[in-house]
Order: sequence, then C-alpha cells, then structure tokens
Amino acid sequence: MQVTFKVYRKDPEKDGKLSRSNYTLEVAEDATVLDSLLKIRDEIDSTLAFRGCCGRGYCGECMMRVNGSARLACTAKVPDYTKKGPEISLDPLRNVPVIKDLVFDWDAFMWNKIKAVKPWLEPEGSPVNGESLTSDAAMQDLRKVMSCFYCGMCDEGCTVLPVDFDFLGPAALTKAYRFAFDPRNKGSREQVKIVEKPKGIWDCVHCYEADEHCPRGIEPTKRIVALRDRAFNSGITHEAVARHHASFAASVKESGWLDEGRLAVESEGLTNVKGLMKLLPTAAKALVRGKAPIPYMHSKRPDADKIKKIFEKAEQEEK
Amino acid sequence: MKYAFYPGCVSRGGCPELYPSAVKVADKLGIELDELKSVGCTGAGVLPQNISDPINARTFAKAEQLGLPIMTICSTCTGVMAQANYRLKEDPNYREKVNKEFLADEGLEYKGTTEVKHLLWVLFEDYGIERLQSLIQRPLKGLKVSPFYGCYLRRPPEAITPTKELNRRKSYLDELIGILGAEMADISGKGKCCGFPILSANEENSLAMVAKHTGESKENGADFMVTPCPLCHLNLDGNQQRAEAQTGKEIDLPILHLPQFVGLALGFDPNEMNLKRHIVSTGDVESKVNMIS
Repeated sequence: MQVTFKVYRKDPEKDGKLSRSNYTLEVAEDATVLDSLLKIRDEIDSTLAFRGCCGRGYCGECMMRVNGSARLACTAKVPDYTKKGPEISLDPLRNVPVIKDLVFDWDAFMWNKIKAVKPWLEPEGSPVNGESLTSDAAMQDLRKVMSCFYCGMCDEGCTVLPVDFDFLGPAALTKAYRFAFDPRNKGSREQVKIVEKPKGIWDCVHCYEADEHCPRGIEPTKRIVALRDRAFNSGITHEAVARHHASFAASVKESGWLDEGRLAVESEGLTNVKGLMKLLPTAAKALVRGKAPIPYMHSKRPDADKIKKIFEKAEQEEK
Repeated sequence: MKYAFYPGCVSRGGCPELYPSAVKVADKLGIELDELKSVGCTGAGVLPQNISDPINARTFAKAEQLGLPIMTICSTCTGVMAQANYRLKEDPNYREKVNKEFLADEGLEYKGTTEVKHLLWVLFEDYGIERLQSLIQRPLKGLKVSPFYGCYLRRPPEAITPTKELNRRKSYLDELIGILGAEMADISGKGKCCGFPILSANEENSLAMVAKHTGESKENGADFMVTPCPLCHLNLDGNQQRAEAQTGKEIDLPILHLPQFVGLALGFDPNEMNLKRHIVSTGDVESKVNMIS
C-alpha cells in the first residue's frame, strides 16, 4: 500500500526552524510506523532522526505522536492509521524539548525528574548476602508499578505539564510511590516529603489522564492519590496545602459538609493579609451577585454528629 | 421517575444559582427529587479514601434504604462517589469491613446496590432524549457553545465508563449541544481538568488552565461554555478575570451550568435560571436567548 508520512522536522544545526517533510512510499500491509521510518531513512532521506530499539513494544524508545496521539511506533500498524486516507502525521511528544526531528530530550522530559525523587531503596537492618529480602505477598502491590518501562505515555497525557514543564509528572511520581510504599524502605516518609515539595504530588490535578494513557495499566494517578493520602494521614508538610486540607477536614468533621467561605479564607491563612487581600476583588464581585459564602455562618447537616464519629474513627484507625 | 438527590455543597454555597435552577428543571421534566439531607460531604478528592469511603458508604446506604438511585448535579461529587462505590461494590470484603466498623453503630448496612448518576447521565440513560426533545420550547438556534465536562465525569474508566456502551458518556455533553438546537464550538481540553483542584497548591498553574480552556473556546467563536461541574464553574467563571490578568489577554466568556443550559431550551427565562449571579457577565447570552423567544 502507498502511504504519505508527514513528518515533523527540526534541525538545530541548520536554522532550527520547524517544518514538515512529506515522504510517499510503498509499505507492506502489516508494516508498523517504525518499519516505515526505517525504510524512509534507508531509502529516501538519511537525515531523518528518530529513536527505535526493541521493535516489540517493550523498551519505550520509539514513543511519538501518530496522527496526533502518543503511540509506540513499533506497535502502531500502518493500516490502523490510514482508515481516513493514505496519510499519517508523525510528531514528537507534546511539551518536550525537541533535539532533532522526532528525537526529544528524555533527560529533561523524564530522567532528571525521576532522579529527583530519590529512586532507590534504603533498607532497614543489614542486608543478608547483599540482599534485602521480604515476602512475596508484601511486594504484590508494587509488582505492577515495577513493570513501568518508562515510555513517557503518562507524562504525554498529563494535564499539568502543558502549563508547567517543571511539574515532576506522573512517571516520576509513580517511581516515588514504588519506593515510598516498599515495605523495606526505612526512609519512606522522607520520600513522601520530597514529592510534597512544590511541583510534586500537590500540583497534580488527579484527572486520571495518566491512567488512561499508561499502556501497562500501572494507574499512575491512583499511586499519586495514595501518596497524597499517606501525606494527609501522617501530616502534610506543604504549607498552603496543609492549611487547605486542615480547613476542609475540620469543616466536614464539625458540620458534615463543607463551609466554602471558611475554606477560602483559611486556605490563604487567617494572618496572611496579602493572601486575603488577593481574594477581595473576586469576593466583592461575588457579594454583589449574592454568591459569596460567608465564612463561619454555616449550618450543620442533620446527623453531623454521626458523620463526625465516622470521620474520627477512620482517622484513629490510620494512626 | 424519582431519585435520591445529592446536590453537593457548591450548588448552594459558591454557586447558589445552581441548586434552584436544577430543581426547577427537574420539576419541569417531571423528575421527582427526594433530597438526601442527613448525609456527609463526598470528600471531593481532598479527604483521603480511608475517611471518605465510609462517609460515602453511609450515603449509599441511606439511598438504598429509600430504594432510589442517587442523582447529582456535580461532576466532582459524581466522580468521587462513583469511585468509592466501585471499590465497595467490587470488593465484598471491603464493604463488609466498612459496614462493620463504621455503619453498624447506626444500624445501617450498605448492600452494594446503589447507583450514582449525574443529571447529564440521567437525561440520556433514564429520561430519554426523545422525551427531552418533545419538551424543548426554545431551541437555542444561533448560539455557539463549548462543552466542558469536568474531569471527574470522564475517568477513571472502571467507575465512569465501565462498559463499551457507557463509553458514550464521554460525548453526552457534545450531543446535548446539538439536541438543544445550539451549535458546537469544540475545544481540545473539554475532558481535561479546569485547574480548580490545585488552586491552593499552585495558583499560577490553575489560572493558566482557566486561560487555556476559556481562551480556546473564545477563539473558536463560542457564546458561552457549559459545564456539569460547579467546581469547574468556580474556577472558569469565578477566576476568569484573574486568569485574564495573569495572561494579559481578554477572554470574557460566560460559563453556564448544565441545568441552566437545559432550562433555557425548556423555555425558562434567563432570570429564572439565575444567570445574573455569575461573575462573568451573561448579558450577551441573555440578549441572544431573548431574541429567540
């Protein structure tokens, strides 16, 4: 079958400007996008830069956008992408610094962030014959997480990275989970503190895009939520988030539901004049429109005492 | 047709225009609402699961006693409850533990039969689009509308779109725009996060998301955006002017709640749908709507 590949091009050694090259070629019915790229490079244009390695969907090297969606080029079959016509667009992942053509900067995209979460084990006690052993059952939960092959799909789907490239991202935060939840790790609380810093777990919007993108079913968002729950239960160290969560929890505990006015002022901090001033323009407009919830004027839900009892019991159990 | 109604705190707190609009629309459609008053907050993704799951289990048990499915008017309430319900239904041991430790004291038990549905899902799955169409008195012709779902109404699949058929939930709002006679002004981020959950942790990123979604909608010619999530509304409407200040770009895009949008097509006056209570002026929308009738 004849297919035209419209490929993103950028050459920093020339003018570094973005362009697109069109390559029309004959490919086999069962060809993958990676097969096609190799053919283009061998037969048409040896200057085209892309990555590829295992060819079996294992290593994650050939991640790129095929017709706009992130895919592994080695498992993306050409006929699956030509149903609307014999053209396929190929682009690097979004929001990553491109080095050349389809090759992007993995260090900036992921590895530097993974390094930042201290991705290693500091086991309690002394290793036996160089090994830190634990039971098979204790590692069950982590098995799935350990199957991550760093393809970057979760980061590609992330909602936060397009507005803030410095956000650690789901891949690195999932790596943090892997060690924070390792039963042998004595420094697990330390690990949670690292990802509690700005650009970490509290910057995640938990929109579950990452889970939808992960080809291994690792569910990065659920891992991030677990890290957050652990931080909540052992005392949040991020100041603004701690204020927000403490106010939220107190109002649900005391009244059964949320006092939004109280949450707005307590999230800024009652002594934070600058922060409270910032709320004023919106609060004034909301007041005029009759929609500003007045703090501490909040009535209790019927059965608030029963909800409080459940809340306190759950808190107690976690401690 | 009757539901255990869970309106959520924002529909009477930060977005007090939502609750009365939803009640009026339900009444006009003939959907009977039995409001759950003695139940707690869902946790909104802020409280950890070990605390919010038992509180939600109590809500499900109360609805189960009434023999009614739960209807919400908030994507976040729906999503958090649907996820908790999935865990409680899927794992009988977990449900038994929650029942024993937290609900038994009150003589309650959650058997795992309660369904949680957003009004948007109710319209398509229970009420029926033909029935809705037969009640339209003011097709919203000439209005261009962008959909914004609220991410909790899209994912995770096991709780939100558990079957191939229910995968259609991801396009209900798109479909509804056409059904009510309006024109679609599509945006790439309609299923993404509005930024509200990180307003405390990272305001700059949160406002950047507001600017991204509303800016794209405006560029695509939308008269307004419609959302089934009042938390999205708080950020997209309430903080839009701060997002404009941060980006230095004027946006000025009205954001309507789902029941307001439906209500206008059902023939309600914009004032009856409390449009004047929004932060971003809805004046142009009101004029256009009034021209139709």
